[in-house]
Amino acid sequence: MKLSKTNLFIGIIITVSIVAAVAIILRTAMTTDRKTTIGNVFIYDIKEFSKTDPGLIKYKETGKIKTGFQNPFAIAIDSGDRIYVAGDKSIRILDAQGRILSNIKLIESPRCLNIADDGSIYVGMKEHLEVYNSRGTRTAKWESLGQNAVITAIAVSGNDVFVADASGKIILRYDKSGKLKTNIGKRNPDKGITGFIVPSPYFDVAIASDGLLWVVNPGLHKIEAYTYDGDLQASWGETSIEIKGFSGCCNPVNIAILPDGKFVTCEKGIPRVKIYSSNGNFESVVAGAESFADTVGIYNPSAGAEDSTKALDVAVNSKGRIFILDPVEKTIRVFWLTNRRT
Amino acid sequence: MKEEKDKLSRRDFIRSGIRGACLLGLGGVLGLFYNRARANDLVWQIDPYKCIQCGRCADNCVLEISAVKCVHNFNMCGYCRLCTGYFNPQPNALNTGAENQLCPLGAINRTFIEDPYYEYTIDESLCIGCGKCVKGCYSFGNGSLFLQVRHDRCLNCNDCSIARACPANAFKRVPYSQPYVFKEQKG
Repeated sequence: MKLSKTNLFIGIIITVSIVAAVAIILRTAMTTDRKTTIGNVFIYDIKEFSKTDPGLIKYKETGKIKTGFQNPFAIAIDSGDRIYVAGDKSIRILDAQGRILSNIKLIESPRCLNIADDGSIYVGMKEHLEVYNSRGTRTAKWESLGQNAVITAIAVSGNDVFVADASGKIILRYDKSGKLKTNIGKRNPDKGITGFIVPSPYFDVAIASDGLLWVVNPGLHKIEAYTYDGDLQASWGETSIEIKGFSGCCNPVNIAILPDGKFVTCEKGIPRVKIYSSNGNFESVVAGAESFADTVGIYNPSAGAEDSTKALDVAVNSKGRIFILDPVEKTIRVFWLTNRRT
Repeated sequence: MKEEKDKLSRRDFIRSGIRGACLLGLGGVLGLFYNRARANDLVWQIDPYKCIQCGRCADNCVLEISAVKCVHNFNMCGYCRLCTGYFNPQPNALNTGAENQLCPLGAINRTFIEDPYYEYTIDESLCIGCGKCVKGCYSFGNGSLFLQVRHDRCLNCNDCSIARACPANAFKRVPYSQPYVFKEQKG
């Protein structure tokens, strides 16, 4: 049988087509994204809890200020409404509109800060405090709290400086010269003090206008009020992943107190910022999880002290504006009441 | 006469002893060389810093039950009362009731240490390496739970099928002498 040219041509085309088809199938099989088939029961999903009821959001974002930091750590506002941001081995001082007023260089990475009424800047390094005057000159370096200490928050009132040590799970009360006066929050069942449970390095403290020291007990999802002598006066907070409560191992991570006595709370896990009344009743949402990147609130201890925290910090000014430090965007996000009386 | 022939002389005893010692030494040297050679061999492992807990480790291993298991770095753990690696996001109560547990296979044990601290241990015979608990711990906590290939069961396939399916390129070859990539706390 003689093979005609036409048949030979058709044969070649068929062979080439078969080879090409096999190659395409093999390539597809090798590169296709093979998704898991284990089913939803094995997938961790908290999206349902991350949704915020729009009716609960009573604030809107009115501005955004770039920090200029790679690792912004903490925010504070002084009585003159100047904004202080700590990060990248320096402190940046901004006016209320976000214009840079000055920059204080530090030797170490700051973790927290607070401003006294006289303008002194108290800066918490990992295990010790440094004090700077308003011109940025260091006026004091306090004794180390110990190699394992992790200072997470500072509150200043009159002649008292309160320092939160997440590692020691204790609040230390100093005078302004750096002399230790007493400690607050040590477990004492006789006084009804359960002790602070601090599983990760988020342990905040704030002073209310009524003179009480409010301390976050993150492992118990509570905010507790103490006198300066360490007597427990009140506490509030509910364990729940729903919007009214706090969830996860340790929340809230940071708090601030508004001029009218209401609390602003920041959470990690499901990053959200909420308002509670001075009695601890949930009132509204400043910003829900939708407002933040997924990586906000993820704590990465492996990243080292300088880059381990991605949780929100918060400060408020005298007019009730809320300034949220977003460590992923590296910005200060300004929120104000939607229906405020101007 | 026959009895004397069977009796081991002192010279034969010493000779046999030396021969045995030489064989033992040779075996030891060969073993050492083998181990040194193996030390440069590579085995599969998960980089916990790249892992995104997608769940593919559970069903892409050639073994019927995956060689990937959850492991726990106790040094990083907060021993939390409400462990988000152990409890589902909205538990009825913080107890060991099956309905409250996140792991569908009950592969994590919760043990009371002292008020309010609890220890969480992995039952590897039940764990399938889905990473659900790892994601729960990572999302809210310190990330002390993470996934690792367990080499007592991994076949160390030349072309690991989980590595091929891993969307985060978290699978890598590590030396046989250091077969695990542990998470650690810094700073």
